[in-house]
Amino acid sequence: MGSVSLSNIRKSYGAVEVLHGINLDVADGEFTVLVGPSGCGKSTLLRSLAGLETISSGEITIDGKVVNKLHPKHRDIAMVFQNYALYPHMNVAENMGFSLKLAKVPRAEIEAKVRKAAEILDLTEMLGRKPAQLSGGQRQRVAMGRAIVRNPAVFLFDEPLSNLDAKLRVQMRSEIKELHQRLGTTIVYVTHDQIEAMTMADRIVVMKAGHVEQIGAPLELYDNPANVFVAGFIGSPAMNFLHATAKGGQCVLADGTALGPLPVPVAEGRSFTLGIRPEHFIIDQAAAPALVSLVEPTGAEIQFTAHLGGASVLVTTRDRITARVGDPIGLRVEPGRMHAFDAKTGQRIEG
Amino acid sequence: MNRRSDIWLAYFMILPVVAAVLAFVIGPTWDVITLSLTQFVMGQARGFGTLVNFKALLADPVFPVVLKNTAIWILGGTVACVLTGLCVGLFLAIDSKLTGALRALILLPWVLPDVVTAMAWKWMLHGQVGIIGDSFSRMGVTDGPISFLGNPDMVMWILVLILVWRKMPLVALILCAAIRAVPAEQIEASRMDGANAFHRLRYVILPNIAFSLTAVTVISMIWITAEFTLPWVTTGGGPANASQIMATYIYQQSFQFFNWGVGSAMSVVNLVFLMLVVGLYLYINRRSWAAGGNA
Repeated sequence: MGSVSLSNIRKSYGAVEVLHGINLDVADGEFTVLVGPSGCGKSTLLRSLAGLETISSGEITIDGKVVNKLHPKHRDIAMVFQNYALYPHMNVAENMGFSLKLAKVPRAEIEAKVRKAAEILDLTEMLGRKPAQLSGGQRQRVAMGRAIVRNPAVFLFDEPLSNLDAKLRVQMRSEIKELHQRLGTTIVYVTHDQIEAMTMADRIVVMKAGHVEQIGAPLELYDNPANVFVAGFIGSPAMNFLHATAKGGQCVLADGTALGPLPVPVAEGRSFTLGIRPEHFIIDQAAAPALVSLVEPTGAEIQFTAHLGGASVLVTTRDRITARVGDPIGLRVEPGRMHAFDAKTGQRIEG
Repeated sequence: MNRRSDIWLAYFMILPVVAAVLAFVIGPTWDVITLSLTQFVMGQARGFGTLVNFKALLADPVFPVVLKNTAIWILGGTVACVLTGLCVGLFLAIDSKLTGALRALILLPWVLPDVVTAMAWKWMLHGQVGIIGDSFSRMGVTDGPISFLGNPDMVMWILVLILVWRKMPLVALILCAAIRAVPAEQIEASRMDGANAFHRLRYVILPNIAFSLTAVTVISMIWITAEFTLPWVTTGGGPANASQIMATYIYQQSFQFFNWGVGSAMSVVNLVFLMLVVGLYLYINRRSWAAGGNA
């Protein structure tokens, strides 16, 4: 069983604090993704959990046992590294069985476990090959095999897909998710790619500059972002942000265009940041006037960049609209799909 | 420009190197080989095309001693240099302020001239006035000062110690650089796999630096085989040929006793040995390249 609990984790390099008191609970069997831009501390947090970094203060518990002072090998965890970190002089079977060999497991048992993991990962044909003879995706699978063979309480993944090309990344994404469903082991997964986070996670932890910004299920973060950072980070293409003012119950843009009723009660005359996802615009000639400045068809949908109320917004639609650059269009927002954030703090304004 | 003139230009461009190799490598080597097949009497050439020099060498009672000493010198020296170099390199590879400074300082023995090294050690190890023997007897380790370089059973090993002091730093630095180039993720992965310090050395570091390790071993062997000044200035082959090695014996036979024939015969033996070592080095190199540096 593998529940993980982090409480008030702080980590400093000299005078520079990079983790400012992180609290996180991961339930047994949960797939948790830590996501955030480079330098947000997500990898440091994962490495602290693995025991490769020491923390300055706080408590790490794995399966109810405090592991702060334990060596990595005693934490009952396995880690998959970004560069796979395979041993180049060992073949696939030796790479996968290395931890068991060190633990003095009988040879026959090692062989059986390696063979079983190889079957799960479709590596049976490759067992005799050296890492240099494998493709990127195969190396990634060997790295996972090395983790599976140990049957740990928790799997840690440190940006495992960032060295793969786009197509392979999508494929490995589903493979890892299937693997999780099959093994049911707790996974803590670090990535900077919000699509990876959205598609794979049971729960996402969005981090920025050593703080946790929001924790929640993927769609919860998408539909109810806690602040401007999460709103802008989750979702692609990103959410549009507009300066707006509350006037007579309406969201009024900088040039006086009224875009619709306020999503939450905002004091009359208070200015705030209005967030609208590109797919929540509705093209309606009777609504607020806008000018098309760029048209980008992607096939499944069409992306328009338009000038609306003195700002530039991105609109996506599945309708086959034939507007061209320079054409006027009308835009309104699906009811209940506007987000209001405090103009200064960036926090969501609650109703 | 046509293809033909390109070829001539290419030959012209490598001409200086070819000329230099012919003049300074092939020429003297040819001379030594012809000399070794020429009989000398009182420094005068007396007939070419004879194996009399090699026969004289085999009959020389000192030659087996020289061979044994050379084996201690080359094999003992190489093994000791590489093993201590590996230990020091492992220590220097640790990241800290201390090792950063030591990495620079450790080259000091290596930049000193051979003669200075040899003279300094000779005086420090002196039987009556040497500071080392004196310290030992003051500390009560020994009853009286030991004549380190005067004891025929000890002298060869003492020479190897001096050799290690002099040659080990560069070996340590080369291995240190190789150890620091081992991917950190492999070390971390092995820690996750449950490897202790010895396992990490045995299963991760050594396989990763295998290429540097073999290269540095062969290069040390070549250096040590060619080393002359250090043993010659320290002991001059004494006492009573107890530290006579190939290099010093060739010098003594050729330039002190003027036995050109025997000296050059020994040089040929030495050359054949060196060629074997270099051949081994090239073979290992090629094989590692073929295996993409992973062998």
